[in-house]
Amino acid sequence: MAAVETRQKRLLAVIALPMALLALSAVYPVFFTINAALKTRKGFVLDRFGLATDATFANFGQAWNQSRLSEYFTNSVVVTIGAVLALLLISSFAGYALAILRFRGSKIVFAIILVSLMIPVQVVLVPFYRTMIALDLINSRAGLVIAYTAFFLPFSVYLMTAFYARLPRELFEAAQIDGAGLVQIWWHIMLPMGKPALLTLGILNTLYCWNDVLISLLVLQDKRTLMVGIAALRGEYTTNVPLLAAGIVLAAAPIVLIYIVFQRQIVSGIAVGAVKG
Amino acid sequence: MTERQPSAARRRFLGDNPERLGWLFVVPALALVIIFRIVPLIWGFGTSFTDYNGMVAPRFIGLANYASLTHDPVFMDSIVNMLILLATLPIWIGLPLVLAILIHQGVPGGKLFRAVYFFPAVLSSVIVGAIFNMLLRYDGSFNAMLKGIGLSPVDWLGNSSTALFSLIAVQLWATFGMSLLIFLAGLSTVPSDMLEAAKLDGAKLMATWWYIVIPSIRPIIEFAAVVTTIGMLTSMFGLIYVLTAGGPGTSTTLPEFLIWLEQGRMNRPGYASAISMVLFAMMAGLAFIQIRIMSRNASL
Repeated sequence: MAAVETRQKRLLAVIALPMALLALSAVYPVFFTINAALKTRKGFVLDRFGLATDATFANFGQAWNQSRLSEYFTNSVVVTIGAVLALLLISSFAGYALAILRFRGSKIVFAIILVSLMIPVQVVLVPFYRTMIALDLINSRAGLVIAYTAFFLPFSVYLMTAFYARLPRELFEAAQIDGAGLVQIWWHIMLPMGKPALLTLGILNTLYCWNDVLISLLVLQDKRTLMVGIAALRGEYTTNVPLLAAGIVLAAAPIVLIYIVFQRQIVSGIAVGAVKG
Repeated sequence: MTERQPSAARRRFLGDNPERLGWLFVVPALALVIIFRIVPLIWGFGTSFTDYNGMVAPRFIGLANYASLTHDPVFMDSIVNMLILLATLPIWIGLPLVLAILIHQGVPGGKLFRAVYFFPAVLSSVIVGAIFNMLLRYDGSFNAMLKGIGLSPVDWLGNSSTALFSLIAVQLWATFGMSLLIFLAGLSTVPSDMLEAAKLDGAKLMATWWYIVIPSIRPIIEFAAVVTTIGMLTSMFGLIYVLTAGGPGTSTTLPEFLIWLEQGRMNRPGYASAISMVLFAMMAGLAFIQIRIMSRNASL
């Protein structure tokens, strides 16, 4: 039996080698991009793969200022923060109402929200665009905040409702007996108790909003978010790879930072979704 | 409660009636969902049966839009491309499944592998597309590397026989870590004494996988297959937009990208809605399967 164990251990150690190669292929393109961003245009043409020996940060400055990434960056930050705050507030309201207050008709409301989970933006692209025009929300950052909130909301409401439904009901009943109003219960109990779920939703929705390109292309046309700006930069600077690479690094940096800081929440958020279905 | 008590009238309006406050609290969510998803879906469904061109009042034409879809070479190409993409599903499941089992069984460095494999999944499709555009273009770095080792360069993105596979490979690179996490979460619920018992029996590693590990996480595998398929139908836009723009020709045009092109032309919303409804029908079918899997698992 011990022999079987050691043989399995040895086998796993051998398998680790191809897995390490695969891991390398998962990070190499990212490393290549950072390395290219640090090279001069000439340096890149002469040697694409070698380490940037005379590292320069000029590309970052140029991408930030001349290519207007600073402006796109601001748009992305404003829209992402606005949409995430709206999503957290509205889904916490709705989760409280659907899981705790359970008013007449709440089951139907929950069903409508679940059904809308299955309507991706592509399916309603044409009518959605017309709705945005009719409401005069095209070309405004507020319009994009509303669009993001509308499209990422069903999942958030679903998660908050499921989270609040697992809280012990005595909590709510005891607060009611103590004479707390229903709004006070939301503010003093539901919001603080919901923190773990709200944190997960905050992170995931930040990723979704920051990374989106389709809704942003549709809603903001003169202004641009960062991802639309990067897509345009790719078209404009096909020959200046280091500049494009610098733009990519700037646009990805906030997300990579969030991944490093909140890796545990991101991983568990996805895992919870999978196991609970 | 330290703050000032609200006036009795205000409290009666907001605070004491669960029925009224419940409705008040779901109104924002319900309104957004109805205005931006449900009503547009109904509008699109209705419009798909008309000859609406965006200007003249629409006329009911029955299934004519759907009939002309079958004669539209661009639409048919997009369906063929989608079927090719769907046919690669076993790789999208098999690769992360094998890696997840290996990590779960204690490959050295497993935690690091998990973090690294998942990393590309947090990047935006635009970032991934822009990176691989630098690498895979004809004058890009991948071909420079091939030339370096004496192989002839390939126009990965510009050749209609390789563009779709390049697109699929890049999307697989970017997202396999997501399924890996899902499988790892599933494996962590398998009682470890089940695995230990298999080892005591002297069962071979492969046999352990096939007869014990994989059956025990079958619901998770089914769930991942449905989620991956939904992703194939609706999460490829950003990558197509940056990497190939649907080309060359129609070789990387998928239905969701075709809807975007039709929306941009603005001149036949009726026809564009019919394409949308085809995509929605597929989504609804998948959702139906997903709900069945979920309810079956709930009764286990």
